[in-house]
Amino acid sequence: MVSKSEEEQLNRLESQVENGGGGAWEYLCLIRKLKIRRSDNVLKYGLTILNDPKKRSSIGNDEWTLYEQVAIAALDCHSYDVAKDCIKVLRKKFPESKRIARLEAMLLEAKGLWEEADKAYSSLLEDNPLDQATHKRRVAMAKAEGDILKAVEWLNKYLEIFMADHEAWRELAEIYVSLQMYKQAAFCYEELILSQPTVPLYHLSYADVLYTLGGLENLQTAKKYYASTIDLTGGKNTRALYGTCLCASAIAQLTKGGRNREDKENQDLHSLAVTALEKDYKKRAPSKLPLLTSTLRSLKLSS
Amino acid sequence: MRYEIGQNAYIKLVLHALKHKISAVNGVLVGRYSSGDGDGEVVEISEAIPLFHSLQIGLLPSLEIALLQIEEYYGSQGLNLVGYFHANERFDDYELNNVAKNIGDHIYRYFPQAAILLLDNKKLAALPKGKDHSPVMQLYTRDASKNWKLVGSEGSSSLITKEPTANIVLLDYVSSQKWQDIVDFDDHLDDISKDWLNPRLFE
Repeated sequence: MVSKSEEEQLNRLESQVENGGGGAWEYLCLIRKLKIRRSDNVLKYGLTILNDPKKRSSIGNDEWTLYEQVAIAALDCHSYDVAKDCIKVLRKKFPESKRIARLEAMLLEAKGLWEEADKAYSSLLEDNPLDQATHKRRVAMAKAEGDILKAVEWLNKYLEIFMADHEAWRELAEIYVSLQMYKQAAFCYEELILSQPTVPLYHLSYADVLYTLGGLENLQTAKKYYASTIDLTGGKNTRALYGTCLCASAIAQLTKGGRNREDKENQDLHSLAVTALEKDYKKRAPSKLPLLTSTLRSLKLSS
Repeated sequence: MRYEIGQNAYIKLVLHALKHKISAVNGVLVGRYSSGDGDGEVVEISEAIPLFHSLQIGLLPSLEIALLQIEEYYGSQGLNLVGYFHANERFDDYELNNVAKNIGDHIYRYFPQAAILLLDNKKLAALPKGKDHSPVMQLYTRDASKNWKLVGSEGSSSLITKEPTANIVLLDYVSSQKWQDIVDFDDHLDDISKDWLNPRLFE
């Protein structure tokens, strides 16, 4: 997960390199650190360093990390020859390495040679059943083949062993949402919130899933999690503010003629969210303000 | 039934898909029905609004907000929601998933001639090599048994671009990487100063 400021920093570096201002190595290191996928640039800038002996020696032992990074980017961009060359160099330097064996299996996977890749991954896992990266490659390969249910099965098995892998829980949640298996997606977000309760993204996604599931209880819980998202983000999260309005409206519809105290609280929360949204739009998107106002009003009317 | 998609709408949808190569994307189509005058019935797709490129595709809240605002904005121009666009995550995935069908069903309730357009990746990849004028999308319409069916070349419906040069213009934008300028509803929700109407995209 990347913050807005980290992404801005990366984009600044990217334009700097693009416009000939140097900084390619810093850019590549930042990409590695943030785990962002910009393979076309990694390939382009990585090769400028690798193909220049002076630049290569200036990064010392990090040269090997760069070969690996460029190999993977090359696979992503279908530049199999570049990938093969990088892997060859790495193989020469580290003849016994399992990490490079995995890269070789990834080359097979990238070319769509599923059976060979599967054999390679399975044998790697036989030797080292706790190799997390290889487990995840198998899940990714199942996804790429289109066997989404197999991907789900393997990802679940993976999480039984490596239950602290947050990115894996997120991936599983996303797959469940794409399959419209919202209850299962909700479970994933519950795990994430339990282990990392101050990450607003999980609160927000959980609320979105609960709202999608629907029903009074889910809507009320969703509203709570939109509220906690707003709390954790200092009121700056547009999606959570909208979500609050949607929940308030949907709840009001379901509880017409219901208990009064909760109705009042519902309305208060709704008005606060509306005010916050209108204030923000007035400042940053004034052309959209009339549209926002009438949209929110129509939500209120339907409640 | 003829479905005629305007060049700007068409290009916007494809550029949106190209901007987010590693995920599914979706969008809605706006336009109107015309009984034609001797020319036959036609659904004119005059605008397209790119919606999401994230897990928001399968979730309701952002979709509801987006549809409310889109219907409000275009309703005042006498246009309504006439269809839905979807591009799958994988290159060779030609299946119309349930999320797409559900959204299509929702639009169908208010506009019975609603269409779903699915990006045809292979056709898009082959564009630079051929002289194909036909849109790089598959057309789906609802049949009598309420299922979304792919319309084949011998079907009674067809999808064409309003301007025959649409693919040429598209290829031009692709080579200049114009997709970087596309803003969708996801982008707007992340930063409300970004305008999902893309008012200056083709200037």
